[in-house]
Amino acid sequence: MTQSQPAQAGAPMITFSNVQKRYGAVPALIDINAEVARGEVVVVCGPSGSGKSTLIRTVNRLEEIQAGSIQFDGQEVHGSLRGKQLNRLRSRIGFVFQSFNLFPHLSALDNVMLSPIKINGASREAARATAMRLLDRVGLSNKIQSFPAQLSGGQQQRVAIARALAMEPPAMLFDEPTSALDPEMVGEVLAVMRSLASEGMTMMCVTHEMGFARDVADRVWFMDAGRILEAATPDEFFRNPQHERAKRFLADLRH
Amino acid sequence: MIADIITIVRDNWLLLLVGQYPNGPLGGIAATLILSVLSIALAFPVSVLLALARLSKAPLLYWPATAVVFIARGVPLLMLILWTYFMVPIITGYNVPGFATMLVTLVIYEGAFLSEIVRGGILALGRGQMEAAKALGHGGASAMLYIILPQALFNVLPSILSQFVSAIKETTLGYVINVPELTFAANQINNQLLTKPFQVFFILALIYYVVCWSLTRAATLLERRIVTKRSGLSGAPLALTATAATVEP
Ligand SMILES: Nc1ncnc2c1ncn2[C@@H]1O[C@H](COP(=O)(O)OP(=O)(O)O)[C@@H](O)[C@H]1O
Ligand SMILES: [Mg+2]
Repeated sequence: MTQSQPAQAGAPMITFSNVQKRYGAVPALIDINAEVARGEVVVVCGPSGSGKSTLIRTVNRLEEIQAGSIQFDGQEVHGSLRGKQLNRLRSRIGFVFQSFNLFPHLSALDNVMLSPIKINGASREAARATAMRLLDRVGLSNKIQSFPAQLSGGQQQRVAIARALAMEPPAMLFDEPTSALDPEMVGEVLAVMRSLASEGMTMMCVTHEMGFARDVADRVWFMDAGRILEAATPDEFFRNPQHERAKRFLADLRH
Repeated sequence: MIADIITIVRDNWLLLLVGQYPNGPLGGIAATLILSVLSIALAFPVSVLLALARLSKAPLLYWPATAVVFIARGVPLLMLILWTYFMVPIITGYNVPGFATMLVTLVIYEGAFLSEIVRGGILALGRGQMEAAKALGHGGASAMLYIILPQALFNVLPSILSQFVSAIKETTLGYVINVPELTFAANQINNQLLTKPFQVFFILALIYYVVCWSLTRAATLLERRIVTKRSGLSGAPLALTATAATVEP
């Protein structure tokens, strides 16, 4: 199935090298050099507009970059990758959106089953079994026939996570997965993310949930104005942020 | 007056219904309905292709499709009909029957209008759906087929039905190139009676009104159902049929 040459076990899952990205003349990512190791959980935080979404969206090429390179599991994401190869690579990168983006015309079950069938050529039975297992895992085995409009935000986001997992990605990316949720639903989504992390999933999470960062993250990247200003363990970052900008950000969050 | 109308209908109902058929070509309401159903049925796939071409970044798809849509929308239908009627025989050397001329013209014309409706339906979905599809690894065609179009086309169903009503009204123009449809039949009756134009054309108007009103009504009901479904209150049956149609492997 996987056509990428499997990188050595020690090699990073995601590597950013000198990545530059502009929207028109406005720089959005400046000199990004960073790595997400296999099995690592990285939390990306920073003020609004600092480039977090842009950064995470370059990994599966929802955004193009102007210079530098990004490797996912040993494979170059930008550059010459086109068409089917790009689709294949994307199917191996789980992506969870702030706005869920479930397919509203499909039931929860069909949302999860669709891509394995249409992209991987899975049989209906196999796709269904996988989907049932994943929906059960995110605590929604009683909602499989519900349509997205009939689900709460937290439930929709959990279906979205199951949908991404159905492609058996070696890594999962989350772009503010709980920011669109009512406060009482944040916990149920974070719980699913925690359980994924505990099973060794490689994760890159843009989030403002500092409790999650503290408990689950191996490293925290702090972004400001298109740069990664700090990359540290949660302990270092929360106890002793190096930059004035990071101190202010943490102080603002505490209010 | 009422008595006149009843008499006219009683004497000519077959002509109004099917024209000269079986002794001549099929006409009347039957021809009108067949013409409008066929034109919409054929215009529909044309419109989807035009819409996709107009959304494409490839200039070779975008520009021709855009030209067709702008021309078809920018000139009166009657002119389009006359052009097809007089130009096609000159260009091809074949005499094309009025019915076929009318059908082809309507397909282009309706296709252009429907394509803008379909394009609007696709754009209205927002980019989140396409991004989610891409992130899962769907290519453009797969995303369109299984994710974008099922939603977009379902959402624009009421507009498609309204366009069908327009098509019925537009078939009257077939009269000018002797397509034996409903208006043509009414005019035949009028030419026989000579003295009762008001009654004859009142019947004609009434028939069009009843047909078009029923369909407009259906479009409104359909729209209400879709709105209900989209708000997630009920409509599971509708939704289930949509699912069955889209996730079969
Ligand atoms: N599609 C876009 N077009 C132009 N500018 C954009 C676009 N998306 C983001 N930006 C700009 O890029 C910068 C980074 O945005 P973003 O990555 O969304 O930040 P964050 O996710 O950290 O809030 C912001 O200045 C934003 O206005
Ligand atoms: Mg963002």
